[in-house]
Amino acid sequence: MRLEDVWLRYHRRGPWVLRGAEVRFGPGEVAVVLGRNGVGKSTLLQLAAGVLRPTRGRVVDRPAAVGWVPERFPADQPFTVGGYLTGMGRLAGLSGPAVDRAVRHWVDRLGLARFHGVRLPELSKGTAQKVGLAQAMLRPPGLLVLDEPWEGLDAAARELVPELIGEVLAGGGAALVSDHRGETVRLPGASRWTVADGTVTAQAPTESAGIAVVELAVPAAGVADAVARLRAAGHHVLRVRDHVAPPPATRPAEAGPPPVARPDPGPPAVAGTDPDAAPVAGAAIPASPAPAGLDAGVPARPGPPAEAAR
Amino acid sequence: MTALVRLRLAGFLRTGRALAPVLAGLLALGVLYGGGRARPAEAYGVSAVVLFPVLAWQTKILLDVEPDVQRRLARVVVGPVRERAAGLLAAAVAGLGTVAVALVFPWLVGGVTGETGPGDRSVAAGVALGLWAHLLALPAAVALGALASRAITRSAGYGVAVLSVGAVGALVLGLSDSVLPWLAPPVMPTARALTGDLTASAALLLSAWALVWVVVALAGYAWGRRTRA
Repeated sequence: MRLEDVWLRYHRRGPWVLRGAEVRFGPGEVAVVLGRNGVGKSTLLQLAAGVLRPTRGRVVDRPAAVGWVPERFPADQPFTVGGYLTGMGRLAGLSGPAVDRAVRHWVDRLGLARFHGVRLPELSKGTAQKVGLAQAMLRPPGLLVLDEPWEGLDAAARELVPELIGEVLAGGGAALVSDHRGETVRLPGASRWTVADGTVTAQAPTESAGIAVVELAVPAAGVADAVARLRAAGHHVLRVRDHVAPPPATRPAEAGPPPVARPDPGPPAVAGTDPDAAPVAGAAIPASPAPAGLDAGVPARPGPPAEAAR
Repeated sequence: MTALVRLRLAGFLRTGRALAPVLAGLLALGVLYGGGRARPAEAYGVSAVVLFPVLAWQTKILLDVEPDVQRRLARVVVGPVRERAAGLLAAAVAGLGTVAVALVFPWLVGGVTGETGPGDRSVAAGVALGLWAHLLALPAAVALGALASRAITRSAGYGVAVLSVGAVGALVLGLSDSVLPWLAPPVMPTARALTGDLTASAALLLSAWALVWVVVALAGYAWGRRTRA
């Protein structure tokens, strides 16, 4: 689809939010929209999704099935989670049994099963955000538009967002994501659209531009040694802190973008039996697909391998 | 589109916001029929006049009860044209419910008489004319309510202003010596026509007038919603 010379302002005499935005992207592509607060990221996404109509210019070749996840899910509605999703499924043109199947699938997938009968206004922000994700996925979208999808989500659900995007892309769809917190390091291969002063600058995906942060647990006694070895291997150690509580295990088998530490046959630096006693070192490594293994001899512990940072 | 109509009606009925216009409608009908017995056609003509603002208000509430972002979600899923049409259709269905109550109500409280003298209309003809009068008022009320909805007016103050100016305007401009009767939907002229003999050509003229007014008002709504998601 293409945005051709798109101008937009919200009121007749209001300021132009977008001035001559010109972008294109096709099936199987994902783009990340970056920019400061209030610069027009959401506006651009809503134009792409078909929520807003350009004041001038046009949007062409938008796929028929669009899934839009708004920045804040409108939870002030008198429906239960199940009832709402069923209603939205019917809206999307799914028929009786297909709606039930789709709702059950996405409710289970996003961990909403416990909330099936809960009314929308009673949900926490993160859970409501998951309902927002679910409604966009009920009908396989040809274009998935996500406005700050990581906002309010727990660690497990944050990992799910790139997975959903991957599925949409694999199905021949495209995805457009806005982000101001650097979570998009989870989306390698995404082109970057920077919004500033009403214009959009598209930048093709680069192989090694990103930086990922890996958190490691090492025994307190071996901290100095581990840090020294990480530095010697060319990694940037950001900080060393006490280990408070083990983070919830998410998806240990994640084949995510940043290569995590590989087990090393050398002397183990972590016993792994008493993780609570271990300080944690954060090391920054390039997020390039090329293996940039850590030679510090620190075995990877199951857990979120990467706390993202740009 | 049926799915969206059902979703919006469910949202309207479940919030309890539907209660206020229903109570106002019943109150107005109670006052109207409290005075004594009238012949059906005349009574229904006045009933359509007093229900006009109630139906418009009910439409505004039905359209406003849905959060703005949810309205935009519906627009993304079904497209802008169907999203608008479904809102109007849901309001019309809800309005038909109110009209049904208004048609039955006077028989329950003894506000109309079934006795017919020589030269009077039959009861069936009176009820049929009453239904016609209400069906002329309903689309105009839905159009006025839609023009007053938050999607168009964007603020509560403007919304109330549009609604009251429209409702009062329909009454004032509909008075028998009005200089600009065509600016308002023909609810008052219809009520007047029902007190006497109604010729077929007058009925046709009133129907066409109501139709044109509704088409113009809905065109305004569609035009306004073009840039207001």
